[in-house]
Amino acid sequence: MSDDIKVDLELDLKGLLCPLPMVRVSQNITNVPVGGVIRAVATDPGAMADIPAWAQSTGNEIMSAGKEGSEFVFLVKRVK
Amino acid sequence: MDSQQITTLTGVLDKKMNRQLKQYLDICARCAICKDACHQYVATGDFTYLPARRAELIRQIYKKYFTKTGEFVPALYEARDPDENLLDELYESTYACTGCRRCMYYCPFSIDTAWILSVAKAILIAAGRGNEMLGQLADAAIFKSDNFDMFRDVIVSGFKDIEAELKELTGDPSAEIPVDKKGADILYVALAGAHSILPAAAIFHEAGTSWTLSMFESANYGFFFGDAEKARKIADRFMDEAVRLGVKEVVITECGHAYRVANIFHEAWTGKKHPFKVRHILEVIDEYIKDGRLKVSRCIDVPVSYHDPCQVGRNGGIFEQPRDIVRALATDFRDMTPNREQQWCCGGGGGIVAISEMDAFRLKSGKKKVEQIRATGAKIVASPCENCRLQMEGLNETEDLGVRIAAIMDLVIECMDLPGRKQAAEGA
Repeated sequence: MSDDIKVDLELDLKGLLCPLPMVRVSQNITNVPVGGVIRAVATDPGAMADIPAWAQSTGNEIMSAGKEGSEFVFLVKRVK
Repeated sequence: MDSQQITTLTGVLDKKMNRQLKQYLDICARCAICKDACHQYVATGDFTYLPARRAELIRQIYKKYFTKTGEFVPALYEARDPDENLLDELYESTYACTGCRRCMYYCPFSIDTAWILSVAKAILIAAGRGNEMLGQLADAAIFKSDNFDMFRDVIVSGFKDIEAELKELTGDPSAEIPVDKKGADILYVALAGAHSILPAAAIFHEAGTSWTLSMFESANYGFFFGDAEKARKIADRFMDEAVRLGVKEVVITECGHAYRVANIFHEAWTGKKHPFKVRHILEVIDEYIKDGRLKVSRCIDVPVSYHDPCQVGRNGGIFEQPRDIVRALATDFRDMTPNREQQWCCGGGGGIVAISEMDAFRLKSGKKKVEQIRATGAKIVASPCENCRLQMEGLNETEDLGVRIAAIMDLVIECMDLPGRKQAAEGA
């Protein structure tokens, strides 16, 4: 559960159109320490594939990705 | 930089060398007419962004390694090794360039600086100096297609959500967003989000089009990054899909570079002729309106202007269809001056909107676009390119333009007789 995880940075990506949610996560990943976690909330459904694809191709980790109402919520862990 | 690195970088230039590039590198007369054509140089006065100067950095390497005069008397002929300082300058001037090719339009010799800068990007990538963000976005797109089974369900689920909105918008419970439909006439290639899918789906539904939605987005960050192989792989995703489904045409959404990649570059990259037509969605909509397949009313009574995205207009050859669509929707259409082939770049192309360290510069470079928009007195500025709209929305905010920046498809569905839209308006 996201409640049990320490979030280092919250990103409000609501209203941003793809690929900008992925761009913003990528731009901010170095703003958390290695092992740190970003919680990102987007509304564009394209983010559901884009952000996990970015995380996997860059060697970072998606701890969770899911839909909460009309929002898509991601916990992204910086691995390196 | 050691000799091995220099050999690698000059090898990239050698591989890219052809008669056309050699001509571009040999022929520049340094007349500097291009300085008045470049929105970035005009807005900043910084020589880094002067088109001839950008190309000059590649020209200096060319002179040193591809001409005898430059090889033996480098100081006299401004020949130069590709050292770290040169690569620093090259990075800034190359990744800042939006590839609008307005400089080429005004150049007396039609020197294609954007072409030269595509070579510059290849050199930067070989030196490990390619833009990291654009590279990551390209890799993510390729990863998504290489591991498509991991993403298929989530992508289709997203389409189903948009389909529910389509049923509501059209008032037709049987309205659908078809995917993987063999034998459809059109494969529509959208962007990743709902904003480029829903309006097109409503238009196709109303026009009775046989269509299917691509599983892949049209955006191509491999192209912006400057890696032709990655760019080809990203475009292959939907081009292969089109072949597999046997469609008659591939229709690209309101996106500039994706249209140019699909319509102009992809066949050259693969060496194969497409067994289908490639069109921009605005060509299709214009045809539907003129044929009477799509009924729209002239519902917009505030002044509307149109911005030609460089990759759709000057570099894509589509000028009249979008204007005709806007004229069918609005009572007061006001073109910008200059327009069509001479249109000023807004400053948002070439992937620069994804490069955060260039944000302030990018907005500053929109000076000419701000002047153009203000001069029209328009309340709505329509443009069929996501990057242009992002840039103009930024300019709208920072310069307090007081306009609405709109996609043309959004304006079209506002002027269609759609039950869902009417209900939403009545409920508001």
